[in-house]
Amino acid sequence: MENLAYIVLFGHIGFILVGGFMTVLAESLVRALLGLIMTLFGVAGLYFLMAAPFIGLMQILIYVGAVSVLIFFAIMLTQAWSGGDEAKPRSAKTFIYAIMGALAPAVFLGMAVIRTAPPSIFTPEETEIKALGQFLLEPYILPFELISLLLTIAMAGAVILGFERRKQR
Amino acid sequence: MIETIPTQLIAIGVGLAAVMAFIGLNGLVLVYLERKVAGFIQRRPGPYEVGPYGLLQPLADGLKLVGKQMFTPKGADAFLYWLAPIISIAPVLVCFLAVPFGPHVTIFKDMNVGLILILAFTGINVLALCLAGWASQNKYALLGAARDISQSVAYEIPLLLSVLPIIFMTGTFNLYEISMGQGSWPWQWHVATQPLAFVIFFICALAETNRAPFDLPEAESELTAGFHTEYSGMGFGVFFLAEYAYMIIACSVATVLFLGGWNGPLVSGWWWFLTKVYLLLLVMMWFRWTYPRVRFDQLLNLCWKWLIPLTVINLLITALVVAI
Repeated sequence: MENLAYIVLFGHIGFILVGGFMTVLAESLVRALLGLIMTLFGVAGLYFLMAAPFIGLMQILIYVGAVSVLIFFAIMLTQAWSGGDEAKPRSAKTFIYAIMGALAPAVFLGMAVIRTAPPSIFTPEETEIKALGQFLLEPYILPFELISLLLTIAMAGAVILGFERRKQR
Repeated sequence: MIETIPTQLIAIGVGLAAVMAFIGLNGLVLVYLERKVAGFIQRRPGPYEVGPYGLLQPLADGLKLVGKQMFTPKGADAFLYWLAPIISIAPVLVCFLAVPFGPHVTIFKDMNVGLILILAFTGINVLALCLAGWASQNKYALLGAARDISQSVAYEIPLLLSVLPIIFMTGTFNLYEISMGQGSWPWQWHVATQPLAFVIFFICALAETNRAPFDLPEAESELTAGFHTEYSGMGFGVFFLAEYAYMIIACSVATVLFLGGWNGPLVSGWWWFLTKVYLLLLVMMWFRWTYPRVRFDQLLNLCWKWLIPLTVINLLITALVVAI
């Protein structure tokens, strides 16, 4: 049972890594998006492993079902065939910088997580959706409302920018 | 070795195999029904040559599809092109795991997030259709995919909002519990208290499954066949099967949420569930051959100007009543 859990965990991590590298290295934008979707799916799977199926499904519903579809729409508006500027081979220097840039947050965050890790339990317990809702609306109501305010501002900003562009033409 | 495999994994495996068989069988039945219903509505016999009453026609169709050459168009991204049908059919298999067919015929009874699971995984179909349209390198396919995105993104909102009143009333996402909470007579079902939500859910389900009168992504008369123009053989066959499977899922969710699930007069059981699902499917087919296809602006106007405000008002009233 424990071995099976390890296989599933590392399977997910491998899946996420493959997706991530596909996103960065793919020559066509749509393939890169597919890699991104793979990563998002892998992260959703990790939520399931941590016995948080609600969060995992929300990840799929929002990021895979909505956000990546909108990204797809944006890609279709551009004429993004492979063979553009991004498809040129990269120099070794850029490559090293990219790897260092990618590793930096992982190292800092990883160290913080390892140092302050809470004691783990073998079988995680599932939090009820009702409890989640109460958490969001009672002790965490201020951040919850602030996030929705942030989204409203972002949307209003997008609308204003869109209308300004139209006037210039 | 066998003892080390947990029973839940075996249950999932057996369940998935059963679901695949169910989808395949339903595909055959629905293709036959669709063609017969179309025939009756247009005052012609429909298929009647192959077997008694043309019953073997879907089998002949299936064999023809399997036997055809799989053809990749020139200049298409072959990997994405063949991945698209697989992405289209794979999520629907997962959705069936949460559907309560009957009090004893449910694969996962204690799935607390069953409804969200279905909503999340049906949303992936849009992505498959986009990939198919984009990878085909064909302008009709690309137009079909673009239409599909704006249609699905728009109709996802009233779909979710029309489901929410039921969640408010029952306080659970578990489809099994929602079925259990309804009585055996029609006036004890949720459709009696939420008729508006049911109608809106059904309209949105039609739009999300790309059924006529909302079949703009595959409009035959203007886009040849929309996103699956280039697909031959089983590439097209898998898309077709997935579309029928999504129709069954949509009708199953409507049955569970609004029509009492497996509960029915006299003896409750999976037979009532299947009867209701098939009645809804027949209504879908009836719509398809009755209404002309809507224009694109009509489609979006219907969604943004009518369905979304109506669902929001309905939701607010429900919340008020529940709070009192």
